[in-house]
Formats: sequence, structure tokens, C-alpha cells
Amino acid sequence: MSRSEIRIAGAGGQGVVTAGRILAEAAILSGKTATHSQVYGPQSRGGASRSDVVIDTAEIGFPLAYNLDLLIILSDEAYTKYRPELDDDTRMIVDRDCAPDSTPGSATIFPVVATARSVSGGVLATGVVALGVLQQVADFIDADTLRQAVGARVPAKFKAMNLDALEAGMGLVGATT
Amino acid sequence: MAEAQLVQGNEACALGAVAAGCNFYGGYPITPSSGIAEQMVRFLPGADGVFVQMEDEIASLAAVIGASLAGSKAMTATSGPGFSLMQEHIGYAVMAEVPCVIVNVMRGGPSTGMPTSPSQGDMMQARWGTHGDHSAIVLAPSSVGEVYELTVRAFNLAERFRTPVIVVYDEIVGHTRESVVLPDALEITDRVRAEGDPEEFRPKAITPNGVPPQAAFGDGYRFHVTGLAHDERGFPTEDSQVAGALLTRLHSKVDDHEDEIVDVETFMIDDADLAIFAYGIVGRSAREAVMEARASGIKAGLIRPRTVWPFPAEHIARAAEQVDTIIVAEMNLGQMIGEVERAAQGQAEIVGHLRADGEPMTPAHLLALITNVEADRKQP
Amino acid sequence: MTDIKTYLREWAMPHVLCPGCAHGIVLRSFLEAVDQLQLEQDKVAMVAGIGCSSRLAGYADFCTLHGTHGRAPAFATGLKLARPELDVVVVTGDGDGLAIGGNHLIHAARRNIDITVMLLNNSIYGMTGGQAAPTTPQGAVASTTPSGNTEASFDACALLQGAGASFVARVLAANPIEMTKVMADAITHPGFSFIEVVSDCPEYFGRYNKAGGGAEMLVSLTSRDVAVAGPLAAKRFVNHVPSSEPPPGMDTGVLQREVRPIFSGIRGGDTDES
Repeated sequence: MSRSEIRIAGAGGQGVVTAGRILAEAAILSGKTATHSQVYGPQSRGGASRSDVVIDTAEIGFPLAYNLDLLIILSDEAYTKYRPELDDDTRMIVDRDCAPDSTPGSATIFPVVATARSVSGGVLATGVVALGVLQQVADFIDADTLRQAVGARVPAKFKAMNLDALEAGMGLVGATT
Repeated sequence: MAEAQLVQGNEACALGAVAAGCNFYGGYPITPSSGIAEQMVRFLPGADGVFVQMEDEIASLAAVIGASLAGSKAMTATSGPGFSLMQEHIGYAVMAEVPCVIVNVMRGGPSTGMPTSPSQGDMMQARWGTHGDHSAIVLAPSSVGEVYELTVRAFNLAERFRTPVIVVYDEIVGHTRESVVLPDALEITDRVRAEGDPEEFRPKAITPNGVPPQAAFGDGYRFHVTGLAHDERGFPTEDSQVAGALLTRLHSKVDDHEDEIVDVETFMIDDADLAIFAYGIVGRSAREAVMEARASGIKAGLIRPRTVWPFPAEHIARAAEQVDTIIVAEMNLGQMIGEVERAAQGQAEIVGHLRADGEPMTPAHLLALITNVEADRKQP
Repeated sequence: MTDIKTYLREWAMPHVLCPGCAHGIVLRSFLEAVDQLQLEQDKVAMVAGIGCSSRLAGYADFCTLHGTHGRAPAFATGLKLARPELDVVVVTGDGDGLAIGGNHLIHAARRNIDITVMLLNNSIYGMTGGQAAPTTPQGAVASTTPSGNTEASFDACALLQGAGASFVARVLAANPIEMTKVMADAITHPGFSFIEVVSDCPEYFGRYNKAGGGAEMLVSLTSRDVAVAGPLAAKRFVNHVPSSEPPPGMDTGVLQREVRPIFSGIRGGDTDES
């Protein structure tokens, strides 16, 4: 594997930043190098939020994502903002509730937010559900390493819930939606 | 060997500071440097240190200087407008010879500018921002790991030379998290302490290496510290010979020891036809671009200063003899490029790639630039 | 008592102050307070800003820090936090402490860091040649107010009381015995102590406003004294500025005293002060 770039884009409160950190930390646990960046300032409050993760087997040169391999979209605003920037060869995972009628063929649609709600009663675990989906559709990271990284990053009292969210996300792939 | 971990640039700065022995932090919140303060307040209480949030950046560096004079290893961190406010006390620390570390996480300017966008707009301010003649030591890390390493080095240089040392990196380096392995063992330098009879103590004594041994307030030595030109006792003087000798010594104690300070990464430069000069985050894009250019048959090389001041003029002069063209890529509208031109002395063509729009320079940008320059070089 | 010269850097003399300046009296009172308290000379740190008053630090044989204009309370804050065992005393002036350094002064007071600030108020910028200060009375002449000052002036003690200083006092350079007592009181007070020392400038303020030389100004100072908490009786006021209106008196003595938690920075374990 050479350099891979993943963007998780959604709304504030969906746990998007945490999910990105977990992905980067899982990559490190599997012996790879990783970077993680997020949006700061007024953009990061309320509204939109995003995490960019770069994973490589070698030392990472430029640490920001500039040629995405995978984009996960978890909100309408994120769709409007990031969709136009994409290359045709970027894989896209789009949440069912924000996918417009004319979703491009390259996108795969999953009920990420709805799953987070059913697992946790809220949207905070959306990012972790998305990681479950990502684990299944791409070969960036193996499932056990991701479980370990989730357990290490989230507060103890939310650990079980987040692990459930991760499993639920993995379970979405291959299931009928 | 420690394990790899995901660390943010500003956190690495705080970790490096504490590893270097920093036990005092005074600061004022400002984006994008605030993460350093937020980490220092977590680390210092457990490291026998003190944290204080001051009323502004002027006060922050004043408190740092006060703490350093009391024997602490002290630092502050800021960005853009806050760095402007600190200039007064950077000069004081130079004049009074107070070791301390100032970190400037650069953001878009001038004025309030672009608080969450990267920039390299403060390179000349870091060199010449405070009034009067003075030397400067300024380090420019380009990665999270280097932020750690060079923050440690900044403390060591400050203690070694009894002078403020500035670390500059941009918003991207400050905010990005990267996998790093922090070193287990570090070389730590401490200031040379005064010894002997307090009555005979001269706080600004002339010594062979130009750096007078230092006493801390409270250690039994009573002495005067001032920002006015002063004599060996540290007392104000208007004697032009004494003042002139002081200024000369403050310069030469740094400039005569450039070999101990200057640190430049060169990459694939020995057989290069063209070189790219870049520092900080741009240095990383440049390194990737050089590798890709090489893969396409262009003999490109990289000059990346990790210490930007004192300026590594000799490295530039050597490179200029080798290459036809030096591309200077910086996130400002032309700051270090003038130094490169001066150092190259006409031996190589200097091409600037300068922008100050808050957008990073990606490897793709720089590769395109190298490709164009190479085409021009072949068809003059 | 100890010979006062023990606390002076005679090698640094002659000093820069003008003939008739009251600041020398203030320094002597301070040195006597240090002596009365038997403070360890090596553990006294005197921190100054820029201006005539700030030059006093150079002649006092302690650990002395002559900082930048207005910033002495900030330098002192770092020093005290790094070495809590030091007795840290700031000497500043009205321009230094209330104009360019006003922010640092009020924040040091708000934090209640355990330092003492002596603000020598001469109602003018002396070192730079007699320009108007934030304490210059309305109507008074300075080099930058040739037709009389039109701005309102600060009451330093009221300002510091408002900022939360736990000890606030005003003393007059004309009353050296009371000055020494109040200074000793301030140094021993746990927490931030502020003393406004009214110490006139005959060279500029006196000359510009025809208020007489040093001796005459000291005499008029005593007649302005309205002792509210000090040992002196209330007396009527004689203004520096010729005026048909009777000018207000000045409350002197300890105007505020309270004990509240001392700021010692954010640090681990027990701090040695509380």
C-alpha cells in the first residue's frame, strides 16, 4: 500500500474528528504512518466538520490530503461543499439521509446516521459507525485493530456503545439497506 | 525505543518544552497557537513547573523574562498579532541576555489576517521585528516530530547563548496530528551559573565565548538588570565605548558561533541542475516534488533550512555553484528570497514561488513549477 | 537601625534625579521599611519600569530589574511565580503604571499576586521632559498641554480598589515616617499591595505650574493631606495649580485592606503561600 487519503465530512456533533483520530491511531497500531487534520475556527463550530486522514507505509511527506481516495459524507452541507472538489476516481460513501436523488454512480449509500441513532440514541457515534463501513468497503485497516483503537480513544463509559456502533457500521456493508 | 503515537504539532511543542526542562509558561490565547498553552497547563503542574495566563502577549513575555531571571527555563507561544506585541520584550531579552523560548505559530497576516490559515509571513519579523541591532536565532520545524526536536533545541540554544530563541512554524504544522516516535534520551544544555564571591560578580562579564555566567535572583547574588545599554555590572552607561562593546559582543556571541547553530537539510543536491529552497511545511511539499521530478528525469534537489536565522548563506553559496536555478518557495510575498539572492551572489538564477493566500503549497504545485523551470532552463 | 548605606549602591552614584525631586525621600523610606522588617537583602527583588521613579531600583542594593515601560507588574509576576520566597516590590510611576502599564497593574491587582507596588505619582512625565500624564490635573500645564490639561485624571487608589487590590494606601513624600510605616505594612500584607506615593516634580510640574521648588512643593503637599487612616490629622489642601476654587484634599493612609486567596499560578502540589 502506498499513500491513501480519507476524508470524513459531516456536521459538528457527529464525532467526525474523533473518528478521524481513531482511524489514524489504528493505522499507527498496524505499523503504518498517519496524519490527521481537521477544520479550525468559526468553520468548526456548529455547522460543518471534517477529518482528513493520510495513511502510508512509508514516511508521509506533505501531511494534508490533496488527492482523496475515499470521501465519507455524513451531512447535506458536507455533500454540497466537498462533492464538487472530487476526482472521478475517488470512492464516495454517502449517508442515506443526505444523498440527493441524483447521487453519482460511484457513491455507495448507507444509513450511517440512522444506525448511529439506533445504537446510541443520538448522532455522536455517527463517525464511528462510518469507520465500521469504511473498514468493510476498503482495506485500509483490519477490524481488530480498529476495535482496539476505538477502545483506546473513547471515554471508558462510552466504550461499549462505540464498539457496538463500530460493529453496526461493519454490519451495514453487505446488508440490504 | 518509545512507540509511535499520534501527536499534534502544538502538543509536540509542549512535550518538547517539558522534556527540555521548561518549568514556566506564560501566555495569552491566540489561534493557532493556543493548543500549546492548553497542553502546558496540563504538563507543568506535574513537572514542578508553573503556568500563568497573562493579560496580553506583552505581559506574557515579560513574565517569562521575570521567571527566567529567577532561574527558570521559561517559554511563551503566540501567533501573528501576538508576535507583534512581543517584539518589545524580544529586544529586552536580547539586551539583558535572558534565555527564553518564543514560539510563533504563523497565521495569515498582516493584522488579524487569516487566523486559521497557514502562512510564513513572519520570517523577517522573527529576524528584525524588535528595534535596534541584534542577532537572532530562529528555528523552523516542518513536521510534528521536528517541532518536538527543535523546541528542545531552542531551549538548549537559549541556555547556551543566553538569548531568546524563536521557533516558527505555520498553522498546518501546529494543527496537524502525525505519527511520531518521541526520542527517549535527549541532550539538555543548562546555562552556565555564576560562581564565586557575590561581591565580585559581574553579571555582564566579558568571557572568551562571549556568554557571561548567569546568576538567578534569590541565589545570593545582588545585581542589576536593564534594557538600557550597560556595563559589566549591568548598570546603565552612556559611555559609547562600553555601549559599543556590548552591542558587538551581543552580535558576535551568536554570529561567531554559527557553526553550532546552523542546521540545513539538503537532499539530492550534489548533482542537481536546479534546487528548491523551502522551509517549514513547504519544505515537505518540496521534498515530495523533488522526488517526483527525479522520477521523471529532472535533476532537482532540495535545500531546507531548519534554522532560518542565522541565515545559512554558505549552504546557499555552495548550492548556487552547483545548480543553474534556485526556486524559492515560501508562503509569503517574498521574504527569505532576498537572502537567497544575496547569498547566491549571481551564481544561480533565483526564481520565486510566492503566495500569501492562506492556501498550502502542495507537492503537485511545486512539481509543476519545477517542470516549468526545467523547461525554461533547457530552452533559454 | 542598620546604616542605610548598606542598602544603597554607592558605586552607582551620583544618581540621575533632579535637585529638589522627592523620590530620594521615598527611596529612603522604603529602605528603612526593609530594614525595620529585617528582610534578607538577597531575597528582595525590586522591579521597575521606565521613568524617574523606576530609576530608584538601580540605586537599591537588592536584586533589581529595570524592565520596559509600564510592564514591571508583568515582569514581577513571572519573578514571583518562579521564586515565591522573594519579596518582590515594584517601583513605578504614574505614566508608567497608569498609562502604558495600566493593564498590567490592574491585572496584577485582580490576581492578588503577593507583590507590593509603589507608584510614585508626580503628575507628569519627568524623564521625557514634562509631558502630560494620566494623573495631570485638569487645567495644569505640561509640555504637551501648554494651555492647560483638558483631560480628566485618574485617581490611582480608586482605580486599584476597583481592580480588586487587597491592600491600597496613599502616602505623601512629605511624610516620610508615615511612608515607612505604610510601606512595611504593605510588604507584610499577604497578597497584592498598592501604595500611591505622592512625590512631586519641581523640575517640570513645579516650574510649569509655578508651584515652587522642591521644598515649597513638599510643604503644600502636607497641607493637602486628609488622613483617613494614617496617624496624621486632616489638613486643608493647597493646589499646585493657581485656582480660585479650593482644590480637593487627598485621602491618605491605608484605604483598603482585605485578605483573600493569593494567586500563585497553576502549579502542582502545595504552594508555599496561601
